[in-house]
Amino acid sequence: MATTATTTTTPFEFPWEYSFPPFFTRQTNLTTHHAQLTKWSDLILAYCRHYRIFKLSLSAAIPSSTTTTTTTTTTTTAGATTSSPPGGTTATSGVGQAQTEELFHNRRLNRRLSLADAREVIDAMRRNGRAEYVGGKDGGDLVWVYWRTPEEWAALVEKWVDDTGQKGVVMTLYELTEGDGTKGTDFHGLDVELLLKALHVLAKRGKAQVFGQDDSQGVKFF
Amino acid sequence: MFLKHLDLTTALRPAYLPDEALLFVQDNVGLYEGKYKLPNQQNGQVYLTSHRICYVDKEEPRKHSVALDLRDVDRYEFYAGFLKSSPKVTLVPKPLKKSSLYTRASAISSPNSARGHASSPGYADGPYRSSPEPALVANATWVCTICSFSNAVPSNFDPTTANLHTPLPPCLACGIKPTLAHVLKAAISNATSRPPAPASPVPSTNSIRSSFPTEGSHAPTPPLISSGTASIPDPSSDSTSRFQCPRCTFLNHPSLLSCEICGASLLSQNSAQLRGQGGSIRTESPGPVRNQSRGLDTAESIKVSFRGGGEKIFYERLKGSMIQRKWLLQGAPPVPKSARTIDENGAVVRSPLGEGTGRKKGVGIAGLEQRGLDIRKNNEVMIGSAFEDLDALMASAKEIVALAERFARQGNGGSGAAASEANTVLAESASQLGLVTTKDIVGGSSSERLYLSELARNLAEFLTDDARGVLRKAGGVINFVDLWAMFNRARGGVELVSPNDFEKAARMWEPLKLPVRLRTFKSGVMVVQSSDRTDETTIKSIRSWLADLREFPPDKEVPWNWHRFGRGVTARDAAERFGWSIGVAEEELEMAEERGILCREEGIEGLKFWENFLDPGAATRKPRRKVLAEPERILKALEETGFL
Repeated sequence: MATTATTTTTPFEFPWEYSFPPFFTRQTNLTTHHAQLTKWSDLILAYCRHYRIFKLSLSAAIPSSTTTTTTTTTTTTAGATTSSPPGGTTATSGVGQAQTEELFHNRRLNRRLSLADAREVIDAMRRNGRAEYVGGKDGGDLVWVYWRTPEEWAALVEKWVDDTGQKGVVMTLYELTEGDGTKGTDFHGLDVELLLKALHVLAKRGKAQVFGQDDSQGVKFF
Repeated sequence: MFLKHLDLTTALRPAYLPDEALLFVQDNVGLYEGKYKLPNQQNGQVYLTSHRICYVDKEEPRKHSVALDLRDVDRYEFYAGFLKSSPKVTLVPKPLKKSSLYTRASAISSPNSARGHASSPGYADGPYRSSPEPALVANATWVCTICSFSNAVPSNFDPTTANLHTPLPPCLACGIKPTLAHVLKAAISNATSRPPAPASPVPSTNSIRSSFPTEGSHAPTPPLISSGTASIPDPSSDSTSRFQCPRCTFLNHPSLLSCEICGASLLSQNSAQLRGQGGSIRTESPGPVRNQSRGLDTAESIKVSFRGGGEKIFYERLKGSMIQRKWLLQGAPPVPKSARTIDENGAVVRSPLGEGTGRKKGVGIAGLEQRGLDIRKNNEVMIGSAFEDLDALMASAKEIVALAERFARQGNGGSGAAASEANTVLAESASQLGLVTTKDIVGGSSSERLYLSELARNLAEFLTDDARGVLRKAGGVINFVDLWAMFNRARGGVELVSPNDFEKAARMWEPLKLPVRLRTFKSGVMVVQSSDRTDETTIKSIRSWLADLREFPPDKEVPWNWHRFGRGVTARDAAERFGWSIGVAEEELEMAEERGILCREEGIEGLKFWENFLDPGAATRKPRRKVLAEPERILKALEETGFL
């Protein structure tokens, strides 16, 4: 589900709290819980930024919804094939799943965050504008993880357009994300849907206009 | 000194003497000395015990509490109160020793006052001592129930060994044999009023008078009356007054030592003056305050003013304890042991005391058997004599209790060690809880509140008693329900406290500033702990414990960095570590979590608590930064001054 364009060579370095067992248990103390949520959202954002994950599948990250410990162990063995998760491989959706599983499941500690707790983290991130369920309002499996918000992406695109003097130019979305011209920019390899969201932000400000249908969409910058 | 300083327990109650029993408590009382109010003793509680009257001040209990030995009380009077004047009980001290050699003239009341007990209706027909002639005359008398003639108790009569077989001489006047109980009573009342004497099985032939002057602090005073031949007439008293016999009311000549008619001993002191004072000092309640400069050792009467009621019960109980005179028991001659056996006729034969020759010194098994036999025989005699009569039982209560305890211990020896240990603890705690607060020892209008406050103090003492260490054994925290059970069990099944009263009493600890407090956890569990143990100290000890866990490697390999995180602890671990019960440990850990010191981890192994590394706002990081900052600051300072 997550798409990355650039290859990442270095594995993600987890923060210290990832190896702190209580990190995986929902805290009852309000202030502690708040700190825990902040730490989790920071971790998710940093992780997704590292692997350039834009959409997170909760069911993939937390398989079998972790209702019982027995299923947990089975999925652990199933996922053991990708025991060196980050790797230097080009990110495909399959690798992304293996990677995101590692995010909520510390295999070394044998501790994992439950789906309900993960959703709570996502909710906290949504309140901060750092996440959004794909499609629906709440619930659902796919989550936008805004390690950059659409506004930030829009600003990035706008700056690139300014810098390269492409005002008034018509481009296809494919050109923007996969074209040679954008290589080396952050939004190279950006998820098309997310790019559209960013471009809509620009359109609202009157800086761009999106036209076309489906996979042949284009944009004109003003 | 009539009023003495009073030692208080941790719960600000009087520290009791051995065998002392609490009889009555009343709050809202004040003290007078003579006509004058004592300025520092105007609002407090009065504790009537079998030995003393204790006043515990409300404002400054440690400073202004005083006690008064009933032993020193000559007479006591009751004043019912009039208009604004509160009811009072006046306590007239025994005269100083100097005055004891004065007259015995005009003693219309209190015939036995010199011997330390006051006149009381209950005692009026009781036996009095016969004339203490220097010869071997028994100093106890019994009054014949038939003809009211007072006979002397035979000199060889020993109340501790007397039984049905003891031969009793008939009445000298009518020839009717007295009952054993009757003579025993007479002998006991005589024995109890006897000053401490060297251990001698036969009632001492020393007259009471002879030992009396040495009883007090005025040792140099010569025992003037001991010879029984002369008495110095009091120059200050009315020489024409005659001495009334306390028994037959015949007016004898003052110089006579025994009544001319009935032969009763004539002992007196100059109570007339004192009584005169006592009668005139009934002033209104807002009386003058005593001048502080005067010493306490003046022989002025002390008045206890009952502003909150309760004076009647106090007076009744005081009367009772003055009759019982339990303070004398302490000085009573010890029970002769293994010195008496039963002869063929079943009569108790006393072998001379203090000699080792009469006893066979057996060796080996035969010796042990002989000893066992002796002990059994002795017990037999003791029990036999004790249960013959209720009075006799009362007389030998101490021995019987000791015997029963020994039997109980022997009984325990057979069963498991753990059970016996528990039983001993229980038995000990029961005996230590002698001073129980019951509903009937408090009185007055505010009896419910007073009862609760007394119960609260009683509980606090129970908890803080070092010998028992109730709190210490439970790790400083004890479940309230457990305490209730323990306390009621220690009371031995009588005068049990209802849970309702128990809780109310516990709630009074804090207003009474007692060293224990009741704490309610957020789950509603109530525990009792000493008041110096706060959440902060608990947290401190938990944290130092967790810090230790970071220092020492865990038992088994752990996948996390234990140098940094230590390990998780369960409530069980905490209970073991601090000696708490599991429930208390859970609550304490949750309290620490609530404060952000700990965080939780729920896993297959159950709920574990960790030091809170998640929340940087919690105290975990702050001290570290401080520790780090300190060397940095020093370095900076060194750099600034140019040393580096």
